[in-house]
Amino acid sequence: MAKKRLTRRDFIKTAAAGALTVGTGVPLLLPERAHGAAAKKTLKILQWVHFVPAFDKWFNETYIKQWGEKNNTEVTVDNIGIAGLSARAAAEVSAQKGHDLFLFNWPPPFYEEQAVDMKDVYAECEKKYGKPIDLAVKSTFNPKTKKYFGFSPSFTPDPINWRKDLWDDVGVVPDSWDKILDGGRKIKQKHNIPVGLGLAQEIDTSMAMRTIMYSFGAHEQDANGNLTLNSKNTVETVKFVKALFQETMTPEVFTWDASSNNRAMLAGTISLALNAISITRQGEKDNPEFTEKIHLAKAAAGPVRRMGLEHVMDVYVIWKFAENIEGAKKFLVDYVGNFRQAFVNGEFYDFPCFQRTVPDIKQLLANDPKAKPADKYKVLEDVLSWATNIGYPGYANAAIDEIYQKWIIPVMFAKAGQGVLSPEDAVKEAADESKRIWDKWRERKLI
Amino acid sequence: MKSPVPIAPAAQSSVAEQKRGFAILDSERWLGPLLIGPAVIYIFLLVGVPFFMALYYSVSNTTTGGGTMGFVGLRNFTAVIGTPKFQTALKNTIVFGLISQAVILVLSNALALALQHEFPGRRLIRFLILLPWVAPISIGTIAWLWIFDSTYSVLNWMLRLAGLIHGQGYMWLGLPHLAMGSVIAVHVWRQLPLATVILLAGHSSIPQDIHDAAAVDGAGFWRHFFQITLPLILPISLVALLFGLIFTFTDMVIIYNLTRGGPFDTTQVLASLAFYTGIAGGDLAEGAAIALFLFPLLLAVALGFLIIAHRSEVT
Repeated sequence: MAKKRLTRRDFIKTAAAGALTVGTGVPLLLPERAHGAAAKKTLKILQWVHFVPAFDKWFNETYIKQWGEKNNTEVTVDNIGIAGLSARAAAEVSAQKGHDLFLFNWPPPFYEEQAVDMKDVYAECEKKYGKPIDLAVKSTFNPKTKKYFGFSPSFTPDPINWRKDLWDDVGVVPDSWDKILDGGRKIKQKHNIPVGLGLAQEIDTSMAMRTIMYSFGAHEQDANGNLTLNSKNTVETVKFVKALFQETMTPEVFTWDASSNNRAMLAGTISLALNAISITRQGEKDNPEFTEKIHLAKAAAGPVRRMGLEHVMDVYVIWKFAENIEGAKKFLVDYVGNFRQAFVNGEFYDFPCFQRTVPDIKQLLANDPKAKPADKYKVLEDVLSWATNIGYPGYANAAIDEIYQKWIIPVMFAKAGQGVLSPEDAVKEAADESKRIWDKWRERKLI
Repeated sequence: MKSPVPIAPAAQSSVAEQKRGFAILDSERWLGPLLIGPAVIYIFLLVGVPFFMALYYSVSNTTTGGGTMGFVGLRNFTAVIGTPKFQTALKNTIVFGLISQAVILVLSNALALALQHEFPGRRLIRFLILLPWVAPISIGTIAWLWIFDSTYSVLNWMLRLAGLIHGQGYMWLGLPHLAMGSVIAVHVWRQLPLATVILLAGHSSIPQDIHDAAAVDGAGFWRHFFQITLPLILPISLVALLFGLIFTFTDMVIIYNLTRGGPFDTTQVLASLAFYTGIAGGDLAEGAAIALFLFPLLLAVALGFLIIAHRSEVT
């Protein structure tokens, strides 16, 4: 067979094809080498628009840049409103694509099957910074599956915000629920200014109502995770809230969103609210003179115990489909190590779940340059003795999460408060709905 | 005269193939499907696929958290139908739909009648009426949220200024009936422009001779409207009503932004309940069951309206 001669045209074609193959094929096979050893990794974070804007400024513009430089990583943060987090998480899970770190502002056991186990992150942090607080563990661990579905670096206290001038005027200190009913009634009668506890489908209401429930010995579940909502104590709590609404509040509270009590307190139209320190922090900027009248108090005592909730539980989840799982874990460990910066830049809004990371927390709280008086935030120094997790005395499990997300507890109180249902019927309706949720998650073997 | 240049056989065959290609485009058998194809694919992907997925979800036990997708039959439907929340949402959906559409039909008719006549500034008025329709609804609703706000309500401020109320004013979104009224008012504000434009087209399509003949015969305004105008615009009114009803039954933006279903679920409609159950609450299966509940009813309503509209067409 005659050998075909290689023409000049053939040579150019072959050479071009070879060059093309080398040019495109090698980067596909050896991406790191192709882009150079210095190629940056990426880390995508999604979190809420913080209630204290100074935190976002520090986190987005300073902290992630410094961490990114040290770790040869391009870090990006997307901030969305708290109300949009659920839908966004559902969308990311549905698409199996999204951020490497997703911050929920409540425990999200619902997503356990989609989340990476954070056991090693907790272990690493414990080794470096000491034990995490019980509140963090109760909010991120599933005792049934022995899995940490999330990691909590911080939480936000939920103290009572009260107008000292008004409460002094009626001679009552709001440190128990009975006194809040008594003083609130007197202030409303004398000044026509109501108490401002939400009875709406929103986060602050959810926290405030559970605070009262737990203080009255009522719970969604017991320590072993059994549904206990339909109880005498829950009915008593609902009766109390009904009286509190009728004697000290107005229907305004049925309309509220998460920032309504902030606005109402700063507008001077309510005498007391349960909220994080966002009210006073905002007031210190906008109206410092008026804000001097707003004081903070620890959770009020109920007939059974003095108990409040965390206001926001920061829980980071790393999706199983995240592209940079190891980078995300390292980010969390380092973030905990630098938490003092977060505490200070967030104006004390977020408290550490690893207490050793802010060793001078008491001194900082006792002498804040922005507060008047300077020790206004000192009351928060023993917050762990009166703050607990959603689902107390048990863990924050998937059923508790669904009850929380479907606003079953706020609706129960609102229906009884408005007189649409009797307290007994309102509790029964909520308990029936909760039971369906409970059965579903038991069937899935997650509780 | 030059003789034509002979065409090579290969070129001849290429021209013939090209002609055959164009012939396919000329044939109605191929051109129609070709033109409608992209629209069909688009509808199939964006409406058909999600619809069939919703059907599948509604008989499964899936959640937004993923995991198993076991078949549970009609359990989601039977479980949800008995709940007070669902029954309230169903009742609200019907009340919300019927009242808002009744108000929209009356107002849009009145507006269309008024805008038919020439008057100074008619174009500006038409433009202003169209604004709520062209503005993003979420922005519009947030403006309404402030109008109804419990602390800074502009409406209460105006009523107080006019001396009509004293003290704190109305809790527009805090009491069930006021909240439902507020939601309906915003919905009417939003849908009125579209209904007006549709009816305006209907009114304009009536030949002037008919109006002139009625005037010569001495028909008054009401007789003229009910016996001449209304029967002639009935088909197009039914189209407007159909659009409005389906849009109302399937929309949740206003409720999401204004009340989030509150106070205590009294403004919850099926579309918003499906969202809060399926996406926010994570129970995708039950959310799908709620969302699909109205499908047979809406289908029947749509078919009914289209048949009536077809029968009442004036040729």
